[in-house]
Amino acid sequence: MVHLATKILLDDKTRFLTTVSGVGFSVMLVIVQVGIFLGMLENASIAIERLDADIWVTARNTPNIDFANTFPELYIQRVRSAPGVLRADNLIVWFVPVALPSGAKEATIVYAMEDFPRWRFPWNIAEGDPQDLRRGRYVFIDDSAEKRFGRFAVGEYREFLGLRLKIIGRTREARSFTTNPIAFLDYRVAQALAPLDLHNRTTYILVKLAPGADQEAVRTEIQRRLPHNDVRTKAEWAARSRNYWIENTGLGLSMYMTVFLGCLVGVVVVAQTSYTATMDHFKEFAIVKAIGGNNADIYRIIAEQATIAAVVGFLVGTALAYAVRPLMARMDLKMIIPEELIIDAFLGALALCLAASLISFRKIAGLDPAVVFRS
Amino acid sequence: MAVLEAHDVTKDFREGREVVSVLKGVSLAVERGEVVGLEGPSGSGKTTLLFILGGLLTPSSGRVIIEGEEVDPSRTDQLPDVRKRSIGFAFQHFNLFPALTAAENVEYALNIKGVRGPAARREAERLLEVVDMADRRRLRSRHLSGGQKQRVAIARALAGQAAIILADEPTASIDSQLGSQILDLFVRLARDENRAVLIVSHDTKVRAIADRNIQIRDGCLLG
Repeated sequence: MVHLATKILLDDKTRFLTTVSGVGFSVMLVIVQVGIFLGMLENASIAIERLDADIWVTARNTPNIDFANTFPELYIQRVRSAPGVLRADNLIVWFVPVALPSGAKEATIVYAMEDFPRWRFPWNIAEGDPQDLRRGRYVFIDDSAEKRFGRFAVGEYREFLGLRLKIIGRTREARSFTTNPIAFLDYRVAQALAPLDLHNRTTYILVKLAPGADQEAVRTEIQRRLPHNDVRTKAEWAARSRNYWIENTGLGLSMYMTVFLGCLVGVVVVAQTSYTATMDHFKEFAIVKAIGGNNADIYRIIAEQATIAAVVGFLVGTALAYAVRPLMARMDLKMIIPEELIIDAFLGALALCLAASLISFRKIAGLDPAVVFRS
Repeated sequence: MAVLEAHDVTKDFREGREVVSVLKGVSLAVERGEVVGLEGPSGSGKTTLLFILGGLLTPSSGRVIIEGEEVDPSRTDQLPDVRKRSIGFAFQHFNLFPALTAAENVEYALNIKGVRGPAARREAERLLEVVDMADRRRLRSRHLSGGQKQRVAIARALAGQAAIILADEPTASIDSQLGSQILDLFVRLARDENRAVLIVSHDTKVRAIADRNIQIRDGCLLG
């Protein structure tokens, strides 16, 4: 079988490279943009995913984990006594300004609990023991804070809302969607930092279910006991925290726009190069018809060329996206490339290239094979 | 027995409000093993007749019978099948695929006509041997000389056991000596491969090699 489509396509290498570059750039743009978006979304819910809690009690209508509201901390008793609850603890998540040695101030998000190890939190510890946070003016700070706080080391002090706290540990991977650095400290110390807001108040109650407990039944019971709070499963709360940023900020739209523009660039490049290539090979398509070929034979050629451009362009684009990932990480941008994204990018590139090739085919469909008799 | 017949064929084209009659009741028949020359000045209707006989156009009236089957003028969608089954074209400008080798040009025509795989490769090599191009089969067609291109184009026209070879000015783009060789090749093919060959040409050498010569003027055959 002679693959005329491949031979024609590869015969003009410059045009082939142009087409592949267009598709590749488009695929890379989509994968990088969606990958960064997924990375940011993961930050939006990473604490929820990593904390060993099955159910979260929040103040009513709390939109996401970072924008917490307070409620009385004694509600914890109503939760602990609910059937099916193995353990429950208060968690404070609060924005706190930190005075830096440079004299500047930066906001940080503090996570404050009585007993961090019980909730396997923080999950990635670079230095120090979170058990030591208890009842002391101590703090763990995530490594990612160095970009905003400057270099810091265990043993140094930082001023949180006027209170000097000693850094006794460092963590990794603890990020927030807002990119504010995350710090971990004792529950009572956090309340002392902002007594007006936090005295005898908490922002979340974490619930661990007893083995075999029915999650829905426990949630319903806690909701019955705390009718003015929201009670959500881990998955629901994580989804709500992520969706907030997608639906209530321009970020979701921005991501969709970039994906749309990426696709548009790909389609335009493929359609344009495919169209000019088809016009350049107009006579060859007429020959195919003159020797007995029909429109199906011609569409097969054009579709095969579009498929080759899609496959090679996809491989180039994907390779470029993976190559860009370390550069993004250096800029503190997490890029997540799940398998589904790669599959979708491939199917998208293929569909768009085939759709673009239809423009060329429409031109060729009515081609009169008699043109081959003219010089 | 004739493999190509035209009976009282007419072809009219509309030019604005006017109807121009390009063919006015043309009848002819070409048999297997026969070489027929078709000669006429520009605008005489010879190319239109070639298009109709080759299944590229349908007549306005009259009948065209190819290998015993009448071509239905109302079914233009069947013309590709007619070309695929029975017709091989040799063009003035060769019209080979420049990206393909000589062998691939012939093999692709066989693929279109339904012959695939090793059978197509073997048949393409056989046809290139018939036109004395076996030793050039791996060369891309753009690297062949004019005469060589025409030989490959003729091998392609032979692909798929086409009973009728229609050649449009096959010697016009090559020098005189090569032209003679090409015409001799047509004669040999008509005899050895038992094909019907119709050559449209201004070349006077065609008169010498053709079994019959037909003149066309103003849409009518002479003599």
